[in-house]
Amino acid sequence: MRCAKRVAIAMIPVFFSLWGSGQKSDTPLLVHGKKYVMGTVFEIVAYDKSSEHASMAIEKAFQEIVRVDDLLSNYKAESALSKLNRSAHFHAQEVPPDVYRVIETSVEFSRLSKGKFDVSVAPLVNLWKAALSGEAAPSAAQEEKARGCVGYEKIELTPPDRITFHSDCMQLDLGAIGKGYAVDRAAATLQSCGIHDALINAGGSTMVAMGSPPGQTAWLVHLRDPSGKVDPQVMLKDESVSTSEQTPASLLDDHAGGHIIDPDSGRPLKTQFAVSVIANTGTLSDALSTTLLLLGPEEGKGLLNRIPGVSAIWVSPQAQTETVTRGPRILLGARS
Amino acid sequence: MEWTNPALPAARELGFGDLVVPWNGANSPLIASALTQGYRVYLEVPLERASAAAREASRRRLQGVILNIQPSQREELEKALPRLRSANPKLRVLVLDGNGKQPEMRGSLVIKRDTVLEVSSPTAQPWIDTNLALIRIEERLHPAERPLYTFAWTPSESGQQERRATVADYSLAIAEAGAFHADLILKVDEHLQKSLSEHDAEAGKLWGEVLSCAKFYMGKTARPLQAAANVAVVADDLDPGDEVMNLLARHNIPFKVLVPADLKESKLEGIDVVAVFAKPDKDAAERLTTFATGGRTVVVVDAHGSYPWQKSPAVPRNEHTVAYAVGSGTVLELGEPVSDPETFAQDIRRLLGKQNPLLTLWNGLTVIAVPYGEHDGSVKLVEFVNYAGEPVRVQVQVRGSWSTIGYESPEHGCCQTLKREERNGFTEFVIPDLRIAGRVHLETEQPATSKDNRVQPR
Repeated sequence: MRCAKRVAIAMIPVFFSLWGSGQKSDTPLLVHGKKYVMGTVFEIVAYDKSSEHASMAIEKAFQEIVRVDDLLSNYKAESALSKLNRSAHFHAQEVPPDVYRVIETSVEFSRLSKGKFDVSVAPLVNLWKAALSGEAAPSAAQEEKARGCVGYEKIELTPPDRITFHSDCMQLDLGAIGKGYAVDRAAATLQSCGIHDALINAGGSTMVAMGSPPGQTAWLVHLRDPSGKVDPQVMLKDESVSTSEQTPASLLDDHAGGHIIDPDSGRPLKTQFAVSVIANTGTLSDALSTTLLLLGPEEGKGLLNRIPGVSAIWVSPQAQTETVTRGPRILLGARS
Repeated sequence: MEWTNPALPAARELGFGDLVVPWNGANSPLIASALTQGYRVYLEVPLERASAAAREASRRRLQGVILNIQPSQREELEKALPRLRSANPKLRVLVLDGNGKQPEMRGSLVIKRDTVLEVSSPTAQPWIDTNLALIRIEERLHPAERPLYTFAWTPSESGQQERRATVADYSLAIAEAGAFHADLILKVDEHLQKSLSEHDAEAGKLWGEVLSCAKFYMGKTARPLQAAANVAVVADDLDPGDEVMNLLARHNIPFKVLVPADLKESKLEGIDVVAVFAKPDKDAAERLTTFATGGRTVVVVDAHGSYPWQKSPAVPRNEHTVAYAVGSGTVLELGEPVSDPETFAQDIRRLLGKQNPLLTLWNGLTVIAVPYGEHDGSVKLVEFVNYAGEPVRVQVQVRGSWSTIGYESPEHGCCQTLKREERNGFTEFVIPDLRIAGRVHLETEQPATSKDNRVQPR
């Protein structure tokens, strides 16, 4: 995406922390913007000598995220993904390049993880989503039926832009990779606007760090720590971190909910770990964080041996940690 | 609105007639200016200055006195307020809760003094800072009065330049107070005060937009409606910072606030779930048992003791929770404080089951909806506030059957008829573009009288 000098007339409402415009400085100014999209709050902080320029670049980056959401959302009936989910059953459906790229990457991860990460898990996710919101847990027959619809092997990719489902009930869900792709696109937009030091945060679960804050070598990010004792941290520069964790268990009953479904069992994943993954792109870290949560530390480490430049940490509520360092070093701090 | 700048535009220019002036005992020239400019003036003072302020207000024929109370002064207030009112019958004496927070949709980055604190997490739904819990508490503390609150604008998120409140910030603050049927003292930031008094065109435009949002809530003469709720939170420490209440609000679970002494049948009419955050005494425990017996649910949190419902067999639900079947209802004892208010709020929604939510929203993670009903128990109105400040398409399901759904908003006026669909005792409709504020009027040709349509007026 080219960075136009002026933002389009139909401005996307964005909350900026700098009021007014036109401030210039010899030292970089920090501008912060936030926007609700993809069901969460995206935030961008950017440093630039012109607050007006930084605000314009952030605005463009948010426009790009909205564009990606319009393609990849399965909540929007007119998104390219929704259209694909309606019409690709035994039919080669043409999709926009972004959608093809994200699905192609998802299928690669599905293969790498031998189906633990499965982009076609949507029928099971939808089944359990209803249970999470108060309906009874699905019956064995419902589960069996939904499981029959799942299987990345039934997705046929025909370059450059066609996709076929070899199943009559397949549905794709890009929830485990879409935000990562969106932050990558936003980073590319900021770069094209001449912003080199910025941080893009997709609801806390995926962050891409560009450059570093003034006078510092990198962005310091504290990683998710369900124990409150480990305080893992990482210094990010032109890298991304993503975190995955299962929905907490009910306080009042034995409700077996959870938004992350294990395709092997067809049921919500049972794990107490939170996992954070550092990689060189948001797409990679996002997809890997879900995959590594599903695989657990033992199998996850095996997978990471095949992917260079990635670091990961699993942390349990009991402060058990498992770490892989093939990329940026994860520092274990101590809570004061 | 609260104003501090000595220069002040006329009331007809700003469109607000009530002006609050913080009063420290000195003879403020602003008061004279405000009277000349056509305002109804209130003096805002701490409780200690109440009598002096009342004398000054009477002498100058002001509208009233607003008492800014600290939580520790509640008892003192209860004694002082009737005395003050009877001594000054021509003055309005109002009680202000000054502990509100700026309503906003927050992100997860913390930016202070030009540094950014980043903490990774699983994907979080938007964090909404709302004053609904504070308002519900004020309604319980002063049931005869309309809640009155104020807040200070959140300090700058960026250390390099002061963040000033925007049109969206002011509009959201007004929308929140209007939608929750409370009164807000809106603090006008000093820069804007100065610009408005200098008749700056940009500031005038901003204020015009703020005013159009305020007008949406002004001059409503419809029959007074009561906030509807079917969940009650019982606590002896009424703290607006309580995250359980805040999370119930964010999950659009309409609730009312009670203290243990309120556990009488009449106060629980229309309630389906009671969450108790106090140790019930013998009488309260008996009433809770009776309440559950009728097929409803009680959740008692971290209140270890001997209770009448424990005559039934205890059935462990999980590591921390035990259930007792009582009549056709249930009492759940959670043996520890609520560690995760988000999960607790979702649990309460699950306990309501499929048939009992008063309302449900989809694509409404940034929206708080509040239903209102008449004394006969039927919902007539739902107010909506969208903290994201940009149009969202919200799907709504309201318990009951309605023949007409009329939607009004500051942008489109009143009223657009929304397409509706009835499903399993609920009415569903879609608000196509809720920006900050919106209101839905529910009408039925025949008054609903079935149990499912009834809600408890608060």
